[in-house]
Amino acid sequence: MTDATANTIDRSVAHKPRQGPSFFVRHRHLLLLAPGMIWMTLFLILPLAMMVYVSFWTQTTFSISSDLTTQSWQDFFGSDTYVAALLRTLKIWIIVLACTFVVGYPVALFIGRYIQNRVVQTIVLVACVIPFWTSFLIRVLAWRPMLGREGAINLLLQDIGVITEPIDYLLFTEFSVVVGMVQIYVVFMVGPIAFMLARIDGSLIEAARDLGASSWTIFRRIIFPLSLPGVVVGAIFVSVMVLGEFATSAALSGRKTNLLGNIIVTQVGSLKWAFAAVIGVILTIVTAVVVTLLLRLVNLRREL
Amino acid sequence: MLELEGLSKSFRGKAAIANLSLTARDNEYLTLLGPSGSGKTTLLRLIAGLENPDSGRIQLNGEDITYARAHERGLGFVQQNYALFPHMTVFNNIAFGLRNRADGAVADDNEVRKRVATILELVGLEGLGDRSVGAISGGQKQRVSLARTLVTEPKICLLDEPLGALDANLRERMTVELRKIREALGVTFMHVTGNEAEALAMGDRMIVLDDGTAAQVADPNTIFHLPATVRVARFLNAYNILAGQVDQGAFLHGDTKLPMPPGMAGARSYAIRHDAPEFLDADEAAPDGYATLDVTFIASEFMGSRVLYIFRRPDGGVFEVERHLSRSDPIEFIGGQTCRLSWRVHDALLYDEAGNLIAPAQGRAAA
Repeated sequence: MTDATANTIDRSVAHKPRQGPSFFVRHRHLLLLAPGMIWMTLFLILPLAMMVYVSFWTQTTFSISSDLTTQSWQDFFGSDTYVAALLRTLKIWIIVLACTFVVGYPVALFIGRYIQNRVVQTIVLVACVIPFWTSFLIRVLAWRPMLGREGAINLLLQDIGVITEPIDYLLFTEFSVVVGMVQIYVVFMVGPIAFMLARIDGSLIEAARDLGASSWTIFRRIIFPLSLPGVVVGAIFVSVMVLGEFATSAALSGRKTNLLGNIIVTQVGSLKWAFAAVIGVILTIVTAVVVTLLLRLVNLRREL
Repeated sequence: MLELEGLSKSFRGKAAIANLSLTARDNEYLTLLGPSGSGKTTLLRLIAGLENPDSGRIQLNGEDITYARAHERGLGFVQQNYALFPHMTVFNNIAFGLRNRADGAVADDNEVRKRVATILELVGLEGLGDRSVGAISGGQKQRVSLARTLVTEPKICLLDEPLGALDANLRERMTVELRKIREALGVTFMHVTGNEAEALAMGDRMIVLDDGTAAQVADPNTIFHLPATVRVARFLNAYNILAGQVDQGAFLHGDTKLPMPPGMAGARSYAIRHDAPEFLDADEAAPDGYATLDVTFIASEFMGSRVLYIFRRPDGGVFEVERHLSRSDPIEFIGGQTCRLSWRVHDALLYDEAGNLIAPAQGRAAA
């Protein structure tokens, strides 16, 4: 009995001056989250909501009002031109993605597995980024003197007699757009793959060899599956950038290849905000679907 | 039968394996004891074909495989870190060799399943086939790694410190298991280790590697009782080694004169096993045929069934004595206390200037 009383008194005395941990301590996690949450709300969630909202506004030739209508959406899906632009965007995306993978993987394999020295690995990876030291537009425009009718490639092919007439197909076509994009974005494929490849423990490859597997089998069954997370990360980088592209196609297609990005630029230029917002929403959805599908391929959280 | 002849390999001018020759017979458990840096991993990698020797020959059942490619040798190599494929299940890890080997791959899925199931049972992992290798314990990983190699029926199975990463309890169980598995399959195991107890306990025969060469090849019993060189005795971690020289028929170590067996001229090292000395009272004289040494007690270490006493020699070095509690009760010493130790002269081993054992004279009692 006396013990119990003593205990109660003790507790009340001990607790009076400070009632548990302070407010800041108890809600520390919220405080730490706050800057990020505020930032994301202001610059991601609000603009996205705004874009969806604006896409339902009423657009007249020279003005826009906030009366809600689905007119801009009907215009988009009712027009062959715009649906074709959507399909073209998807087509260019697939081709560029495939090309960056085909070109990038061997390079990554060389950097990640054949170069043993970590320092040299880093140097070579940085060297891949050197083109980025020049402006994006210069890099794109530099393809014109390469691919044009009187360009370097046509002249060279004519000189060595492979062709007699210059090839028109090289510049101001979808081909030149793909070439330009692959050149610009391939490094985003190389980086993540090289990183994953460099992380593969050499003893796994030795173990596979010891178990009797040939080099090709080792690549197919061990090296490639283990580098897949890198491929997926690279593919996400490339996809997100290519789907929103407009500058490369503007500069290298002679305005013949219109991607969704180009249409947004044109519409915004003529103050058609509602229509631009429709395309913006569609582009966002397409990108989200693509990223989701890519993430389905590999459990990145487990692999990284 | 695996024969190595004059094998050498150096890295950046430093010899890792120097002119090494040895033979692994069929159906035996061969342990290789070597301290770190003695070239034991290099040796296994040379045999497995993961490195190429600078010179020498490797023959497997009479066929020269010195420069054969790793995946064409038909040897199994269980790596120290297990090297399990992280993106595969236990089953697929084990089936990898069967399905993917360049030579004689098993295409029939039922056959693969049957053989994997058999080996899983042998290593005691029934029912774990569907687990991911990230979801099993260290001891189980070890067994998967072993099973993955054994299922391909290698002619010789090379094990690189297979017990090194296991905790003591598991290590003792695997010691028995490994021998059992080997006997069940009748395949030769070549087990490399830096742990002398493991090498002694597991090997049918034992090889002590020193500086890239085989310092001694014999059965564990012989190696333990008659280490061929001072360095082998040192690796065994069971001998007190005293330096000195022969002076008038006795071994002069510092100021201490130790009697020694006859016919040991030129001895420079005097080795006495930890369990040989007896304790005498401080002024008790030793009987004939016994050597004595006065030492100072430093500490003792209780090790369950035995006690290790650590003393300081007159010259400042450490002298260890081990008593088995089944033979005598533990003795309490106070730090700084002087004790007199004595041992039968015939229990001493003597080594010449080059560190080689001077053959014990006839009549030496078997240990």
